[in-house]
Amino acid sequence: MATPMISFRHVSKHFPGQTALDDVSFDVQAGEIHALLGENGAGKSTLLNVFHGVLPPTSGEIRIDGEPVAFAHAKDALDYGIVKVHQEITLAPEMTVWENLYLGSELNWAGFLRRSRMQEAARGYLKQLQCGFGPDDKAGSLSVGEKQMLQIARAMMINARIISFDEPTSSLSGREAATLFAIIRDLRAKGITILYISHKLDEIFTLCDRATVLRDGKYIDTYTVADIDRPTLIRNMVGRDVALFATRHRPQRADYSRPVLRVEKLQSESAGFEDISFTLHAGEILGFFGLVGAKRTDVMRAIFGAERLSGGTLALDDRPLVNRHPSQGVANGIALVPENRKEQGFAANLDNADNIAMASLWKYRRGPFVSHVRKDDNARRRGETVHLNPNRPDFPTRNLSGGNAQKVVIAKWLSADARVVILDEPTKGIDVAAKADIYALMEDMVEAGKSLIMVSSELPELIGMSDRIVVMRDGRIVAIVDKSEFAEQKLLTYAVEGTAP
Amino acid sequence: MNKLFSHHGREISVLVAIAAMFVIFSLIDPLYISGDNIRDIVEHATIYGLMGLGVTGIIIAGGIDLSVGPALAFIAVVVARQAVSGVPPLLCVALGIAMGMVMGMANGALVSYVRLQPFIATMGTMSVFRGLAYLYTQAVPVIGVPRPYRLLVDGEMIPFVRASIFIFLGFAVFLHILLKYTCFGNHVYAIGGNEEAARLSGVKVKSTRTLMFAIGMIGTALAAIVQLGKLGTGDPTTGQGYELEAIAAAAIGGTSMAGGRGTVLGTVLGAILFSGLKVGLITSGVDTFWQYVATGTVIIVSASVEVLQTRLADAPGGRR
Repeated sequence: MATPMISFRHVSKHFPGQTALDDVSFDVQAGEIHALLGENGAGKSTLLNVFHGVLPPTSGEIRIDGEPVAFAHAKDALDYGIVKVHQEITLAPEMTVWENLYLGSELNWAGFLRRSRMQEAARGYLKQLQCGFGPDDKAGSLSVGEKQMLQIARAMMINARIISFDEPTSSLSGREAATLFAIIRDLRAKGITILYISHKLDEIFTLCDRATVLRDGKYIDTYTVADIDRPTLIRNMVGRDVALFATRHRPQRADYSRPVLRVEKLQSESAGFEDISFTLHAGEILGFFGLVGAKRTDVMRAIFGAERLSGGTLALDDRPLVNRHPSQGVANGIALVPENRKEQGFAANLDNADNIAMASLWKYRRGPFVSHVRKDDNARRRGETVHLNPNRPDFPTRNLSGGNAQKVVIAKWLSADARVVILDEPTKGIDVAAKADIYALMEDMVEAGKSLIMVSSELPELIGMSDRIVVMRDGRIVAIVDKSEFAEQKLLTYAVEGTAP
Repeated sequence: MNKLFSHHGREISVLVAIAAMFVIFSLIDPLYISGDNIRDIVEHATIYGLMGLGVTGIIIAGGIDLSVGPALAFIAVVVARQAVSGVPPLLCVALGIAMGMVMGMANGALVSYVRLQPFIATMGTMSVFRGLAYLYTQAVPVIGVPRPYRLLVDGEMIPFVRASIFIFLGFAVFLHILLKYTCFGNHVYAIGGNEEAARLSGVKVKSTRTLMFAIGMIGTALAAIVQLGKLGTGDPTTGQGYELEAIAAAAIGGTSMAGGRGTVLGTVLGAILFSGLKVGLITSGVDTFWQYVATGTVIIVSASVEVLQTRLADAPGGRR
């Protein structure tokens, strides 16, 4: 066999308390479309980041065309003809298409731009890609798909040898996706090697030549797509050695005769979900599963009042609920523990007492003023409830570990007397011991009569903690599964295929 | 025509505002469009415009420069002292420009390499420059700037047209070419528009931004040089609040404070509108104190128009 275009040799990547990649070795041949497959958190994106020089590997080596490379910056990979088409697209929105296309590698004469030459060349690239926009359009006015095309044009401009795509179709319409596939095939015909990450098995089977499966950061196997069927692929994506299993230690509290939150036909055009209907009962833990792009977080934000709705109704205890703004959500007893704690969960510059009191300041009034003594008392009391360590009101929240910071966020909502607590990826980036604490806290909350929604991409914890699991795909609910029917493969098949296995 | 408007909508609306302003003020008092008065407006516009142009470049690069007012004073007193002590006029001009570049480079270095926020960095140097101006003169104005210097920078070359206008226009053309037709200018827009995208594309963000701060301060240096020619005195207290006027000229001309957007022509027109308004309010006998309210209102209104235009452009279906 010829020298592989890309060769991963024993690549490992450790983060504090977590192994994202564990001794991954495989080859990608020149001119093939090679898929990277795996569940959320399997290490696909980390592998790409290491490949592109965004993250340094902890150990191991990457060879391009037989030659060992170590990229310190994204720019180094670029110079090597290796381009990533980003999920979150980096462009200067106020500049034109051709300016973005040539940014950093402008054609020039003694520092003066050769505008017309760049415009002409840009027109050529756009024509090759059959783009519906011109070189003089503003980059900010392009749709997501068009911005992607611009990135591909850029890759062609710098004569890329390898192009990687991370979930490129997640925000594309069906027709845009079809165009994209045609272009990717064209790129292959030009001898360019493609790395392709997607959750959508359809795409893997229509587009890719070979597929490598990763699971929990480990290399599982590489398959020739023509020789494998879907069930085998899915089985290999799921079949894990269960290192940590979340289980309920106390009796179930769900009372299906007492609905608490009723969601009917919720839809949002801007957020991209529709026809969301489910009921959350007293004492229930309702799990939400789906892959990246399933819009679970958007639905939760909408229920909380942080996303604009274009239709549907909410009812709390059979009374209509209108949450047009997060402040209404809070006042109505709905709490959102967000996925990205650091940006949305707590204020980095405040101490524990202030963060815990943030959603319930009215409680600590003494006359017209907020009493610090009362705030501190509350923080100490709630801190004890959630087993905060160190439980000090004056401790800066940003210096806490991930698990303890999460407890501060939960304590904030306990202080606000939330009845419905939505936890979005509550154990993300939290070490094993603290995860168990969070699970215990969730049981405490349902015992106290609260109802919980748990959004998670980790199937074991969803299966362990939930009373029922809602599966979403592409902004719709595809199934609501009862506890008696929980099975990893079944849930994953719903999330991937949208239908029962 | 459609394309003209979509690319230069801001400049056109400022132009319309200027026309409206001239009509209104000359209806109130026909003397508004007399030669003397027009010259007055242009002279004001020259100073604000030169400073505003420099600040425009800095803002496009995602920065801000609050230090330009005191920098103007410091440069003016140093150049004045040299001119008085017999240094040839051209050398004085060169000295002023060099000073400006060094001071701007200091601002840029604080922002790029010490990683201070531009607001804080230039607020600090604002006070430093003012202090230096006082220290250099012991708070005594430098009087008696010789005639050859004044003729060089502000002499009437042809009737009604002073040298300072050519300095203003010259700097405007220079900056326009720099921003629109060079790699450097392209990088300035990219840094202000999306610093991360620029960095990932291989743009040298730090040195480019530092250089933009330095070049921007040349505008202030030229304003100091011109003002010294007009007044004949280097006053360490001059330039109070000029930084706000300079930023206002840029903002009225459509420069986005978020960076990545703005044009030289917009700022030139902004400076003309701004000084025309100031002069007009005086000639039409409006109470001095109301003038502050009126100029502030113009800034707020023009910024609101900007927000509205962006909203309309971003609305669904509002594309192109």
